[in-house]
Amino acid sequence: MLNSWKLKEIVLLSILSVVFAVVYLAFVHVGNLWAGLIGPIAYEWIFGIWFIVSIITAYIIRKPGAAFLSEVLAASIEMMIGNAIGPRIILVGIIQGLGAEAAFALTGYKRYDLWVLMLAGFGAAVTSFAYTYVMGGLSALSPTYVALMFALRATSGMLIAGIGGKILSDLLLRTGALEGYAVTRQRKAHG
Amino acid sequence: MTFHEMNPTIKFLTVTCLMFGLAFMYNPWTPLVVFFGTLVLQFIFSDVSWKRWGLFMIPFLLTALGTLWTTLVFGREASGQVVFSLFGNDVTEENVLWAATLSLRVLAFTVLSLLFTLTTDPKRFVYSLMQQARLSPNIAYSVFVGFRFFPILKIELMQLYETHALRGVRLDTRIDHVRHIPKLLIPLLAGAIRQAERIAFSMEARGFTGEHRSTYEVIPVTRNDFLLASLLFTLFGVSVWIGVR
Repeated sequence: MLNSWKLKEIVLLSILSVVFAVVYLAFVHVGNLWAGLIGPIAYEWIFGIWFIVSIITAYIIRKPGAAFLSEVLAASIEMMIGNAIGPRIILVGIIQGLGAEAAFALTGYKRYDLWVLMLAGFGAAVTSFAYTYVMGGLSALSPTYVALMFALRATSGMLIAGIGGKILSDLLLRTGALEGYAVTRQRKAHG
Repeated sequence: MTFHEMNPTIKFLTVTCLMFGLAFMYNPWTPLVVFFGTLVLQFIFSDVSWKRWGLFMIPFLLTALGTLWTTLVFGREASGQVVFSLFGNDVTEENVLWAATLSLRVLAFTVLSLLFTLTTDPKRFVYSLMQQARLSPNIAYSVFVGFRFFPILKIELMQLYETHALRGVRLDTRIDHVRHIPKLLIPLLAGAIRQAERIAFSMEARGFTGEHRSTYEVIPVTRNDFLLASLLFTLFGVSVWIGVR
């Protein structure tokens, strides 16, 4: 998978993962504070934050595997810098990454429009919710409540990760730091 | 024989398997036995600071409580005798059992995670993944770069605060600093991306090709790794037996 990657792209992926691992961890604590009060649903509306690195990295590097690898790396780094969710979080990263990656794979890694990014956020929400359903034992909850949780997570994935990721990446693009990455090249090619 | 010395990849696989297994157990006894059993194993076969352990545990106690009452209030309609009523929702014996199961599961997951996290050195874990799980050195060494990046990011952040203060942003209190973070994210990221490019070039300049290479640190697989793994699996087996019985 990595054969077509340049080293600078891999290092970029790793560094984005590091930065967002810190952001992710901060929001785990925000979520935890809430969760004691209003239960597991506390995480749902901010869940999109935890998908964002996939979308930003895929948007910048535009190669197969970018969405998946960045999410897995961010999760692994999160674990190493002290997330008590522990090894399980790598599994979460793998599952979320696959969901986001699926959206880019569907377009043949050719399109990176807003709707594709939102679809990636949605995809990550779907796979990660399936995981929560099994591991969190959501079958013990009433179906309406579960549906509400999913709706919140999907919306959050599309808005925070999809639209938010696009806004962040475009702001980065304006700084000129992304010269020499696919996002700048393709933008120039299309005029 | 300690969990600190245990091969990180094997430890990772074992702990993950146990957690996965726990997710399919629908009785409160299994997670309860795993919780206490893991504590006993951790006490015997490791040397972790229990104060740190306690600090890490606090947020998950909160989550467990949240899970407990959510499952009680928003529980699926279930058979059995109504034990009590909560916010207009009749809570049956079955609901109580589920709530106990799910919140104990949160706690069991956490002790297993902490067993891994508190006894594993990240560097050894990455080396072990490279040596035992054939992780691509490209990724492994990028992760090391990522780790070296924490102090760099911290310095860059301080510099950004100073430049912004120079330009007239009020940064007197700690709260001012926290509130200003969103405005620093883009310049911080842009700086990080430029650094990444420089680091990649210097790695290539020093002959890094991304092929497998020899390392000073060799992480072995020994008999003890399998002994510790089988102890954990035995614990899980016992807990399932107690739970199902």
